[in-house]
Amino acid sequence: MKKILLNMVVAVLIALWLVPLLWLIITSLKMENDVVTDHLTLFSAAPTFKNYIKALTTTPIKQWLLNSFFVASVTTVLTLFLDSTMAFVLSRMRFRGRKALYLFVLAGMMAPFESMIIQLYLEFNAFKLLNTLAAVIIPRLALPVGVFILTQFFNGIPTALEEAAYIDGASRFKVFTSIILPLGKSAMFAVAILSFIGSWNDFLWPLIAISNSAKYTVTVGIANFQGTHGTEYALIMAGAVIASIPQILIFLFFRKNIVQGIAMTGIKG
Amino acid sequence: MHLAGHTKRDIILFSAPYLLVYLVFLAFPVVYGIYLSFFDWNILSGKAFVGLRNFVQAFSDEKFKSSFFHTLQFVGLSTPILIVTGFLMALISVRPTKLGKAAESIFFLPYMFSTTVVGTLWAWLLQKNFGLVNQLLQAIGLKGVGWLTDPNVAMLSIVWATLWWTAGFNMILFSAGMKQIPDEIYESARLDGAGKFVTLTRITIPLLKDTTLLVVILQIIASFKVFGQVYVMTGGGPYGTTRVLVQYVYETGFNYFKLGYASAMSMVLFVVILVISAVQLLASKDDVQ
Repeated sequence: MKKILLNMVVAVLIALWLVPLLWLIITSLKMENDVVTDHLTLFSAAPTFKNYIKALTTTPIKQWLLNSFFVASVTTVLTLFLDSTMAFVLSRMRFRGRKALYLFVLAGMMAPFESMIIQLYLEFNAFKLLNTLAAVIIPRLALPVGVFILTQFFNGIPTALEEAAYIDGASRFKVFTSIILPLGKSAMFAVAILSFIGSWNDFLWPLIAISNSAKYTVTVGIANFQGTHGTEYALIMAGAVIASIPQILIFLFFRKNIVQGIAMTGIKG
Repeated sequence: MHLAGHTKRDIILFSAPYLLVYLVFLAFPVVYGIYLSFFDWNILSGKAFVGLRNFVQAFSDEKFKSSFFHTLQFVGLSTPILIVTGFLMALISVRPTKLGKAAESIFFLPYMFSTTVVGTLWAWLLQKNFGLVNQLLQAIGLKGVGWLTDPNVAMLSIVWATLWWTAGFNMILFSAGMKQIPDEIYESARLDGAGKFVTLTRITIPLLKDTTLLVVILQIIASFKVFGQVYVMTGGGPYGTTRVLVQYVYETGFNYFKLGYASAMSMVLFVVILVISAVQLLASKDDVQ
């Protein structure tokens, strides 16, 4: 009896999470007329990709996807460069004030974007960068949590290999690129995914920084969909699916790394 | 490690790029925001130092007070339910069965979506006339609910969408914590004849104390920053009953162009989050070496 009750809780919980996902897909495959009826239909007469084609051909969603790809990729590459070099210093160099510097960087984790939008707007206005994709990229680059993950991970890499390399006359740059980075691959990967997804899903700042709809990222574009396509629910859901394809692919291929990344920040952070 | 030489030069070379970006686009905006909050700065009227007047004004501004209250309401409603659900999910997903694995994926996948995708999806699911939820309610003979148009339930709808979106994140943290509990402890509990419920309340929950504290704090911080779901699902309506702090800062800054006043209000959010983060930092101090 207790076991049945427990299994029911599990089943209900799974259903509550699964049904919205299925409804997203189902709606996107229906004819627009079949969506807005007052009786529940599971499928239209035949599933149709019409909404996807319509979204791709009559809305700027392709451009938005390209913008998002550009923004998220550049953000990820630059973040990896900046965070790993900083983490290398914090993990491997010994100097006065190192700990203070580390704490200073970690303090950045406490500064929420949401409380900086006015200042960032004025700053990027002064740099004449508003309404450019650079404006969307730059504020995300110094990802303090990335420095944290990498520093902690680098700290766990034994120094014996490096010492041997230094004795052989290797430079720090050489040690960094041919020992630390390869050995830190899994942490770099976790930071890369964190950075890519974070950038792709960023909403508030791109909403403010970009006013020209041709330069929207897809996350901002989808918010705009509702305004411009009001009750075309099937079309909107198709757009939402298209906008989520990269995350779904990343999820399918790198589920383990994502989970690991979250656990790493969570457990130690 | 002095073997490589040029230590000073290398420290500067390796840390300069990061520190430059950090100082200009993270540290500076924080300081600049504090500065701005002491000014009355309208795009039209220009800048004038007003001391603490923005803060005084905020606390007599009905819209600010209600936005702050709605944010607190969201934090209060979302935090417990997101934590309990995340914990339940973790209990299900740590089981080394196929179902456990599948459940983990299903629970976590929504977290990958952007806030606007989640918002549009839930605006559709909760749509009054044709949305799935009301259609199901009507199918079993109940009346549909104005999920997003009834001032009494709109905030709950946003909590519901947020629950679906991010409970999986808490699940991951909880299950990572659960996996760190040594099997021997469970083993000896079983030998002592402890049942599942006793094991849960006497072993799992107490040993997850640190994880739970972390999840609670991260959840409170995330909930204070709520914006995207609200923006997409209700736009702050009906009648401003779901307008949250971030949204009011956004509107004040970019619809009414009162930049100083908006900065002052965002400082309030900043301080709230700073205090909560400080609690977390103190609690996890031992881990930062």
